[in-house]
Parts: sequence; C-alpha cells; structure tokens
Amino acid sequence: MNPLGHRKILTQPSDHRIAWWAALAITIHIVESALPSPVPGLKLGLANVIVVAVLVLYGWRDAVWVALLRVLVGSLLVGTFLTPTFMLSLSGACASLLALGAGYYYSRLLPSWGLGALGYSLLAAQAHMLGQFAVAYFVLIPHPALFKLLPVLMTAALVFGVISGMIAVAMIDKVQKRVNGGTSR
Amino acid sequence: MLRRGDYLVLLATLLLLPWLYLTFWGDQRAGEYAQILVGGEQLELVSLRQPQTLEVEGYLGLSLLEVLEGKIRFVASACQNKQCVHRRWISLGGEVVSCLPNRVSIAILGDEQRFDAINF
Repeated sequence: MNPLGHRKILTQPSDHRIAWWAALAITIHIVESALPSPVPGLKLGLANVIVVAVLVLYGWRDAVWVALLRVLVGSLLVGTFLTPTFMLSLSGACASLLALGAGYYYSRLLPSWGLGALGYSLLAAQAHMLGQFAVAYFVLIPHPALFKLLPVLMTAALVFGVISGMIAVAMIDKVQKRVNGGTSR
Repeated sequence: MLRRGDYLVLLATLLLLPWLYLTFWGDQRAGEYAQILVGGEQLELVSLRQPQTLEVEGYLGLSLLEVLEGKIRFVASACQNKQCVHRRWISLGGEVVSCLPNRVSIAILGDEQRFDAINF
C-alpha cells in the first residue's frame, strides 16, 4: 500500500510487451474501421496480422491477450461495444484463437510439419469467418438463405488470410532481425 | 519461408472451398421419376435414369416424349402451337411441362420441390 491507499500493481516485462502489441493491434483496428466495406463483416482483418505475429514470436497465451484486448478496447474506442458488430468481432476472435491454439500446439507436437505465419494467418481468417457466421446465423439472422453467402465469405477469407499472412511473414522477419541485431527495445 | 504446415492448411482450404460451393450453391433437386398425366389420370411413372422414347395417346393425338440423362422433354405433340415442345428439357423436382390442348403433362417427382404451386 502506498500513502494514497492504492496497492501498487507489479507489472512484468511480458505485460508491457502485451500492452505494446495490443496498442498496435487496436490502432490498426480503428484505422481499418474507418475504411468502407462492400459487404458487412467483410474486412481485410489487418489487426489479425499482429495476433499472428505475436503468436509466432511469443506463443499462444500472449496472442490470446492481444486479440481479446484488441476486440474489447477497439470496440470501446470505435463505439461498437456490445452491439452486433462487437458480438461478431468477439465470436470471430474467439474462434480464430481456438484454431490458432490448436495449430500452435500441433506445430509443437510435429515441428517438421508445423505451421508458419502464413498457415496461421489463413487458419485464423477461416476460423474468424466461421465463428462470425455461426453467430450471424444462430443469433442474428436464422435464415437458411444465409448459407448461400458462406462460400463467398470463405473465399474472401482465403484471399484475405493469404494477404495478411504474407504481411505477417514480412513483419516477423523484420522483428526477428531487429531482435537478433540488438537494436530492439 | 513457407513451412510444410502452411501448404497443409492451404490445401485443406482449397479442398474445403469447392465442397462449400457444391453444397450450398449446387442443385440437389434433380428428380428421379417423371409422372405422366393424360387428362388428370396418371399413366405411369418413368425413371429418368433410363434413356427411352415414349408415345402417349392424348385427346388430340400422339405426344412423343424423350428421356435422356435425367431429363425429359416433348419431342413432338399433336397440338397447334407446340408450347410443350418449346419448353424443352426439364429435370428438377417439381418442374412441370404440359401440353394443354392434348391434355398431356409431365411432372418431375423429387424430394425437394422447385415450386410450391403452379397456376395456369
């Protein structure tokens, strides 16, 4: 206890690291929310690049923190907290985190057949879309015609997943070079 | 740069997508049997799997029907305007083609019906 009656919270270096990456993801989330989208729920998902990078660099636990903080804080700042958009975003994030977790521990089990950033990103994009779709169908619009959209949405997820995967590969490469070169903070 | 698992995920996705398109965009309503009616009376059920030609005696004369690869059509009919012939092939459950002057009609039977009801 300090004189003001507050308990000092001790933070670990990992907390700072998560905060930094989450801040980056939130910034990208907000910038991206300003871009118009042709179909609701169809976005490039650049914030997922950060999640994938954190997964590859620091592991699944950190990725969960960054992704969930991104959804929570991002929605508070954009103003969609607890709206259908938020529900879609959260369900997508949870689904993609589960898929990433499965992929991550599978890669540890079988390193020679493990996934790289591109595989993670593609996996995350597909799971994100499926999670969103499940909520959209079971909660928001329970109409069988919605399934006609699924193939198109999954094709979009494939394209976006590959694009953000390539971005993630390039980004992780740079980050690792900096860390190895000793210029990273 | 790419690891083997990446190709695995990519392959799985590329296999998943055609399946999705076939499942949700494909037409699974193809009928198995055609019901042939003359003046409201059912003549016979014709399997669409067996290629054949049928001659049906209507109120004006003969109607010639052809079955081929799951489809059926009027080849010729003893009517004036040949609407039934111009309707060409039908294959989906619930589809109907009829020659009203000759009072011959064909309806495809299927699990799923394309239309709930048809008025003339």
